[in-house]
Amino acid sequence: MIEILLILFAPIIGGFIYGFERVVRARMQNRQGPPLLQPFYDMFKLIDKQAFIVNPYHTILGIMHFITLWVVVAFIIMGQNLLYVIFLHLLSSIFLILAGFSVKSIYSHIGSNRELLAALAYEPILIMIAVGFFMVNGSFDIAVIREHDASIASLFLLFLAYLMVMPIKLKKSPFDATEAHQEIVGGVEIEFSGIFFEFLYMAKWLEYIFVYLLLMLFAGDNIFLGIGLFIGVFLLLNLIDNATARIKMKHLIKIVLSLGLTLGMCNLIGLAYV
Amino acid sequence: MFDLKKYRKKSPWILHYNAGSCNGCDIEILASLAPKYDLERFGVINTGNPKQSDIFLVTGPVTYRSRERLVELYTQMPEPKVVIAVGSCTCTGGVFRDMYNVEDGIDRYIPVDVYIAGCAVSPELIIDGVVKALEILEKKSKEMEKALKLFKEATSENGVINRRNVALKVGEVHEEN
Repeated sequence: MIEILLILFAPIIGGFIYGFERVVRARMQNRQGPPLLQPFYDMFKLIDKQAFIVNPYHTILGIMHFITLWVVVAFIIMGQNLLYVIFLHLLSSIFLILAGFSVKSIYSHIGSNRELLAALAYEPILIMIAVGFFMVNGSFDIAVIREHDASIASLFLLFLAYLMVMPIKLKKSPFDATEAHQEIVGGVEIEFSGIFFEFLYMAKWLEYIFVYLLLMLFAGDNIFLGIGLFIGVFLLLNLIDNATARIKMKHLIKIVLSLGLTLGMCNLIGLAYV
Repeated sequence: MFDLKKYRKKSPWILHYNAGSCNGCDIEILASLAPKYDLERFGVINTGNPKQSDIFLVTGPVTYRSRERLVELYTQMPEPKVVIAVGSCTCTGGVFRDMYNVEDGIDRYIPVDVYIAGCAVSPELIIDGVVKALEILEKKSKEMEKALKLFKEATSENGVINRRNVALKVGEVHEEN
């Protein structure tokens, strides 16, 4: 029962996390910041705006991106197979990339290109995390992983690699070249407007839920460790976001692939032989 | 069903365009978004994307080359929207008035809702202007304003569309028809 409620209200919880994050980020810069419910005000405003449709496929692919992400989050909450979850999440990214390529805007194409390159950088790490969980717990099932002890000690290097993936997924500095708000004006989301942009906006909230639920898997059955990890990583990510500048796409791929893959492989080889 | 109109003034997203300004007003706009004045506490985001913004902040006296971009950006913004002219140049042309390369203010091309005077405007005045614009935004309807009338037809040579000189002054429309 509580699982169904969590799945139904996942976008709203994500909205609260996003709103809280904007307040935290403002306080870190010694500002007052927007109210906590700001994302929902934005949402109600976007319902009321006039919407332009560039072409039907563009809007439908945007909505598909949102729905697939919701299914991904539902799968995690219900404790399904971790590999399914990761590949379904890749599918949702592919929908967004196709949406970006379906319009003529050059900024949209650049954004899609960058999304693809970013997927190239973080996807191997996500798969290695799944393999790491399999080697520790003997199963890809999230329900089984949640019943075992916390695996953060034996998967610590993979945890560090995952810390590098999180800013890419959440579009945070230094790894936010995929969105790049003033430079390529939001990348793939540039041609969405009105109520159709709202689906992308809510997909961003669901992305928060996805990323933090995956993080909490490192804590296993220890709920307090999970909440501690969530709070600690949340503050750390915002601190890094405020303290660093955006880096180029080329450097993003180099850093994430070289460092992340090395850390992940070391961890997997260590698990296999030690 | 609750009234959606009241949420318009709680999340205004700003599009900022520099139509040939000296950057004095642009710096003041950035200052009003920065920690000291903190426009974000009203929910303001500087989007930079016309398709998702509500408030069009324009600086500069509209140079000859920036007219088409100005009108293009205005038509790309979905209704309801408001336009704020920031600075003396944007309102009337300021010290550049009657120069050969300058078009004496943005209201020759697009309808303006709020004028903010000053050279350069202070952040307090910008915040005042934005809050005033929000009151107007709440009363606006979703119908299109006469933006498309400001366009001429784009000419095409050898299959290449030429958009130069498509912008039209407000008075010019009635002269032609």
